[in-house]
Amino acid sequence: MIKVSVNGEIKEIEENLDVSQMIEALEYKIKGFAVAVNTTFVPITEYSKTIIKEGDKIDILAPVQGG
Amino acid sequence: MDNDTWEIGGKTLSSRLLIGSALYPSPANMEDAIKISGAQIVTVSLRRQAAGGNDNTGGNQFWDIIKSMGIEVLPNTAGSHSAKEAITTAQMAREVFGTNWVKLEVIGDQYNLQPDPFETVKAAEVLIKEGFEVFPYTTDDLVVAKRLADVGCNIIMPWGSMIGSGKGLMNPDNLIAIRKQFPDLKLVVDAGIGKPSHATQAMELGYDGVLLNSAIALAQDPVKMADAFRVAIEAGRLGYEAGVMKEREFASPSTPTVGTPFWHQFD
Repeated sequence: MIKVSVNGEIKEIEENLDVSQMIEALEYKIKGFAVAVNTTFVPITEYSKTIIKEGDKIDILAPVQGG
Repeated sequence: MDNDTWEIGGKTLSSRLLIGSALYPSPANMEDAIKISGAQIVTVSLRRQAAGGNDNTGGNQFWDIIKSMGIEVLPNTAGSHSAKEAITTAQMAREVFGTNWVKLEVIGDQYNLQPDPFETVKAAEVLIKEGFEVFPYTTDDLVVAKRLADVGCNIIMPWGSMIGSGKGLMNPDNLIAIRKQFPDLKLVVDAGIGKPSHATQAMELGYDGVLLNSAIALAQDPVKMADAFRVAIEAGRLGYEAGVMKEREFASPSTPTVGTPFWHQFD
């Protein structure tokens, strides 16, 4: 297991997960989101090529109201 | 006003109001206010939401409503404090919202939420190269507007006054200078509008549109206020097109002086 920060909270996930597998492991259910790893945007097309590592800081953002 | 259309970001629109989606008493109230305002562009944002899927913010419901309305969405980069953060947020927004439009907002001071001109210009340059249509939120500083135009912005959105302050147009002379300097750019007053008359004033200055949120959402009756802003913006635009009279230093009677009664010549 490795420790990562997801939206500011420390989570433990299995090693060598890609972004899609991480989302599944986190049971993230909100539809329509985008992912950044260590403040760099990861497009959907790159999910399977992006392996999450120990200490990564992951942001998963979804639509909210805005001005 | 039915025939008055304008173009921004490649879209032809009839409403010159860009409306925010935040701070309404309820999602239903937001929907009603947006509808009656006639706005065809609504601003939205991205935030962290509970990883476990507990959608405590009502985000999904809000987004479902906006999608069902069939209007243009303008995602913002609110909360960004650097070009890097704003660029990443814009890239994420493009994927989530399916638009290359972005309201670029990089805050330089937490007290007055004043945009950081240096980081805003830096981010705008990168985003334009990446194919974004950038709607930059900036101050009413002419030189910053010039720099934004230099890096390729087709649209500039100077503030009227501080975000959420409702103080109106702090410095109309600066807004006039930007309008005169950039007759071909789309100019939108963004932030600080409090009353319908503030929006009318911005439109009378020749601005192409007005972006506001708090003035409607925080009104006692947001739906009625949305209608008031619709009318105010139309009035201001009509006034601008009609050509405002020149100010005079002295009084000048409007009623004809020829034939004034009770005046008699005896000499």
